[in-house]
Amino acid sequence: MNLTVNGVEHELESHALRPLLHVLREELGITSPKAGCQQGGCGTCTVLVDGEPRRSCLLPLAAVDGAAITTVEGLGTPEQLGPVQAAFHDKYGSQCGFCTPGMLLATHALIERSPKAGRDEIEEALAGHVCRCTGYVKILEAVEAAVGSAS
Amino acid sequence: MKAVGARLPRYDGVAHVTGRTEFVDDVRVPNMLWAKALRSPVHHAGITKLDTKKAAAMKGVHAVVTWEDVPRLVYGHLEALGIPGDEPLLAKDEVRYKGQPIALVAAEDEETAQLAAEAIEIDFDERPALFDIRKAADPDAPQIHHWGNWYPHFEAEMDVRQIRKGDIERAFDQADTIVSGVYRPAAIEQAPLETQISLVVPEPNGRLTIYSCTQALYFSMGVVAAHLEWPLNRLKFVGGTVGGGFGGKVDTAAETVSALAALKAGRPVKWRWTREEEFLCSSTRAPWHMEIADAVTKDGWILGRKMLTLHDSGAYARFSPYGVTKHSFHHTGAYTIPNLHFDGYVVFTNRVPTTAMRGFGVTSVSFATETHVSRTAEVLGMDPFELRLKNANRIGDTSPNGIAYTDPSTVPTIHSIAEAIGHELPGDYRAMTRDARGGDLLPEHLVAQVGEVDH
Repeated sequence: MNLTVNGVEHELESHALRPLLHVLREELGITSPKAGCQQGGCGTCTVLVDGEPRRSCLLPLAAVDGAAITTVEGLGTPEQLGPVQAAFHDKYGSQCGFCTPGMLLATHALIERSPKAGRDEIEEALAGHVCRCTGYVKILEAVEAAVGSAS
Repeated sequence: MKAVGARLPRYDGVAHVTGRTEFVDDVRVPNMLWAKALRSPVHHAGITKLDTKKAAAMKGVHAVVTWEDVPRLVYGHLEALGIPGDEPLLAKDEVRYKGQPIALVAAEDEETAQLAAEAIEIDFDERPALFDIRKAADPDAPQIHHWGNWYPHFEAEMDVRQIRKGDIERAFDQADTIVSGVYRPAAIEQAPLETQISLVVPEPNGRLTIYSCTQALYFSMGVVAAHLEWPLNRLKFVGGTVGGGFGGKVDTAAETVSALAALKAGRPVKWRWTREEEFLCSSTRAPWHMEIADAVTKDGWILGRKMLTLHDSGAYARFSPYGVTKHSFHHTGAYTIPNLHFDGYVVFTNRVPTTAMRGFGVTSVSFATETHVSRTAEVLGMDPFELRLKNANRIGDTSPNGIAYTDPSTVPTIHSIAEAIGHELPGDYRAMTRDARGGDLLPEHLVAQVGEVDH
C-alpha cells in the first residue's frame, strides 16, 4: 500500500486493518496525531486525508491506500510557521498542547473550504475536538485570527 | 518585572503548534514492550485464585507482574507526613474497587498483552460493597477497610479532623436565626486528553530511566523508589511535559508497576491506559457531603458555624486525610466566623480512590460556603454583597486554624465584582478596606478576637 505523508511517499506492508494512527506513529515516527481516546471521540488523532479532516484512530490503512495525508508537521516549520500555526501561537490557542495538532488541522481544512468562515461555522468545524485546559475561548480567538489573516 | 502585564510568547508554544512537543507516548526506544493490566471486574471481593502460568507461557509475553513481584507492596503516598499506607500496589488477597490493578502483562504488542491479561486465571469471593458515605456508620454497613469504614489516624489517633474555635454555644445562643444547608458536590474525573502513561527503560548500568506524565516528578520518584526499595540514585525520571493533569496525575499511577515489568522482562515497557481505564479506574475528585449550620444575627453578622463534612476517599486513603485537613482550614472561605465547631471524616467506600483536582479539598467547601452565604442573605432579606463585605476576611482576622491574615483579598474582590456588574453599594460598604477592623464596622462579637491578635 502507498501513502503520501506531508509530500513524502511511503510504501507500506502493514496489516490492511491497522489504524492509520498507529501506522503514522509506530511505523513512520510521525507522532503529532495523538491516541487520546482511540474511539473517534476526542479529535486528538485528526489528520487531513486528501484535505479532509479525519479521525486516524478509526481509519484502517486499506481505506486510505494511495491518499495524501497531512499532519501538523506539514503545515510549517518552527522557522517558518504556517498561518494557522502562527495564529494559534500568537493567540495562546494551546495550553498543554495535546489537542493542538488536531485543532490546527481542523482549522486549516475549514479555511481551505471556507476562507471567510464566521463564528457558527468555526464552532461546527471544531465540534468533536476536545480541549480540557483552555475552556476554548483562546482556541476560538486563534481560529478567528487565522480566518482573518487568510481572508 | 519585564514579564508582569506583558504578553510573552509561550516557551513551548512553537513546539506545540508544529507537533514537536514530545509527550511520553511520543518517546521511541528500541525493543519496547507494551503493557496491559488485569483489573478487578468487581467492586469488593476476596481473591481465591490467581494463576498467571497460562498467560506467562503465551507467545510474545515477556513478563507478568503480580503482588509477589513487589519488594514493598504497601506504601502510603503521604507516609512522610504521618499518614500510614493502606493500599497495595497490586491487589493481593482482596480487591476493594472495580478497576483495581491485580496484574500487569508486558508483551510484544498491546493486543498480545491484552489477550494474556484476559488469560490470567482468577476467582473471586464477592462481598457486599459500600458506595454511600452517609451509610458508612450504619450498624449493618459492609465492613470494607481494615482500619474500619473511616480513617482513624489523624493526630493523637483521632478518627476525625476537628476544629474548635471560640465559644460555639454562646454564638448559637445569641443568634437571631440559624441558617442550615446540605451541599453534595459529585465526583469529577479530571479527564486529561493524555491518559495515564509511563515508559520505563532498564539501562545497562543497572539504573531505570522512567518517562513519566506525573505532575509531581520528585514525589513520584520517591514513590517508585519506596516500592522497589531502591535508592533514588538508581532512578532517572524524565518528565515535565504533561498532556493535561488537573490533579489526576499527582498520584503515581503507572510508573511503579511498569518499572517492575521492565525489570522482570529486561526490556523497556510502555503502559498507556485506555480512555475507558482513565474514566473507570483512575482517581477522581472526591464526592463530598457537607452540612452547615450558621448562627446569624438579623443585621447580617455570622457569629458561628457548625459543620460536618464526609469526604468520600474511595477504597484507600492516598491523599484524602491531607485533603480534609486543607478543607477544614478553609471551611469559612473568604469570611471570618469567630466561633467554629468543625468535624471532618475521611470515609472509605468501594469506589476508585479519590485525589487532588484543582484546589484539593478547598473547592468543595468554597462552593458550599458561597452558596450558603447567598442563601443566608436571602433568609435575612439582605444584599448578598453587603453580607459578604460585612463578614469579609480582614487583616488581622484569624483563619479557622488560627493563622492571622496578612493579605486577605475578599474586600477588594467583592468591590471589583460589584463594579464589574454595576451593582450599587451604600457609601460605608464602598468605603470598606481590607485593613484591620475598627470603628463602626467592628461588631462586639469580634472585639475579643481582634484584641487577641499580635500584629
